[in-house]
Amino acid sequence: MIAIEGLSKSFETARRSSHTALADISLNVAAGEFVSILGPSGCGKSTLLYIVGGFVPPTEGTVAVNGKPVTGPGPDRGPVFQEFALFPWKTVLGNVMYGLLERGMARSKAEERARALIGLVHLKGYEHFYPKELSGGMKQRVAIARTLAYGPSILLMDEPFGALDAHTRTGLQNELLDIWERDRKTVLFVTHSVEEAVFLSDRVVVLTRSPGRIKQTVAIGLSRPRRRAQLLVDRRYQTLVVDIERLMDAPEEAP
Amino acid sequence: MTPRLTSTAGLPPLLACLGLLALWELAARVFQISGLPPAHEALRQLPALLADREALFNIADSVRRMAIGFGLALLLAVPVGLLMGRSRLIAAFFNPLLMIIYPVPKAALMPIIMLWLGVGDASKTLVIFLGVSLPVIYHSYQGARAVEEKMLWSAAAMGMRPLQRLVRIVLPAALPEVFVGIRTGLVLALITMVTSEMIARQAGVGNILFNSLDMALYDTVYAMIVIIGGLGFILDLLFERLRAWLVAWAEPVHQIAVGTS
Repeated sequence: MIAIEGLSKSFETARRSSHTALADISLNVAAGEFVSILGPSGCGKSTLLYIVGGFVPPTEGTVAVNGKPVTGPGPDRGPVFQEFALFPWKTVLGNVMYGLLERGMARSKAEERARALIGLVHLKGYEHFYPKELSGGMKQRVAIARTLAYGPSILLMDEPFGALDAHTRTGLQNELLDIWERDRKTVLFVTHSVEEAVFLSDRVVVLTRSPGRIKQTVAIGLSRPRRRAQLLVDRRYQTLVVDIERLMDAPEEAP
Repeated sequence: MTPRLTSTAGLPPLLACLGLLALWELAARVFQISGLPPAHEALRQLPALLADREALFNIADSVRRMAIGFGLALLLAVPVGLLMGRSRLIAAFFNPLLMIIYPVPKAALMPIIMLWLGVGDASKTLVIFLGVSLPVIYHSYQGARAVEEKMLWSAAAMGMRPLQRLVRIVLPAALPEVFVGIRTGLVLALITMVTSEMIARQAGVGNILFNSLDMALYDTVYAMIVIIGGLGFILDLLFERLRAWLVAWAEPVHQIAVGTS
């Protein structure tokens, strides 16, 4: 599904020196797999996601989706950003419909589908609200519905719950899993929270601090559907969280 | 704010106007300068001026030129500003030009422009056009630059091409800031309208104003100033209504961030 080969990314810094954000990343994500990219801040994990999205070009290496090399953004890869990035001049309904109209769907059909998705993210009754009238958690629900609307086969989620309070955050994690269970899209999920990564993912890819390299990939063998209350008392879940936290704290070997 | 204050929102500006008139009247009576007639004498000229066909024709002529200069400026300045905000190359090209033109008083260019285009409509409209363009370009530029990258990426993922994104994402996203520039532009349009007519007198508000000044008809001069002020007030009021309606979705531009929402 997603094939990342020998990917590196360097930036020119303000002082004209080159900074390597990502080094030699190779990763395959299977169709329907939920993979989290976990790493300390500044390890380039978001950059990795942007490169897969086609928003940022890599310095070296290739990304292919379904065998086709990525050269730019496309509706097969739907992004969800920490900043929500909603269109503030559009209502909730207008935001969710936007991609559908853009893909050429008839207005009445687009509205019907958008309303269904707004129901799915529990925002029925808020169709005609503007983003500024919504809380952070509601905004992110709209953003998720907007991206789901045009039917990408891959979701690229860039710390989507990072700007939310703890309560809203766990609520949205549960909702995301419920939605994901319905059609099991391929998800690439960037986070710095170990619990979040373990709770959501099939596999957790741990990156090193700058430059980001793959430190280790951990398979999360917990059965699905997952329930938070059960997992929290599940020994295997606790062990995974502790192990991955240790892994993140462990000193990095010289490359 | 208490309900009592909001219910009398029109009162403070009214008091300010009355206070200004009272000061004017008082100063005129104390100093007894021929160039400063008392407020009531100047105001007495208002109905006569506003009923005079010739004067109305002059005012309409000024407003027409202002509207054309203002309209043309928006047509050019908004796209240029937005393009500058989204392309470093275009910004690098226009920025030095704007830096040079911005501080030059546009009325100071009037004599030169008159050498090229004569003393007619074209010169005056061009001066208004220049006066309006700069703040509109500047604010459109700032507005476009501040558009969240992720918003554009979201649109790109939906399949939107760069030019479509400029019109359908950058323009609406930058609109609140563009309107700040347009409001400044509106005031400058009024100012350049009058000053252009001061230098090239044929018809218009400035024509009446400065000819009356030459003829020492000071009450007419002040009545004309009151009319110009009133015109600015009405235009600004109408513009603010339009703005409030078009960008009701926006967070206030000059919001003070206190905590998070």
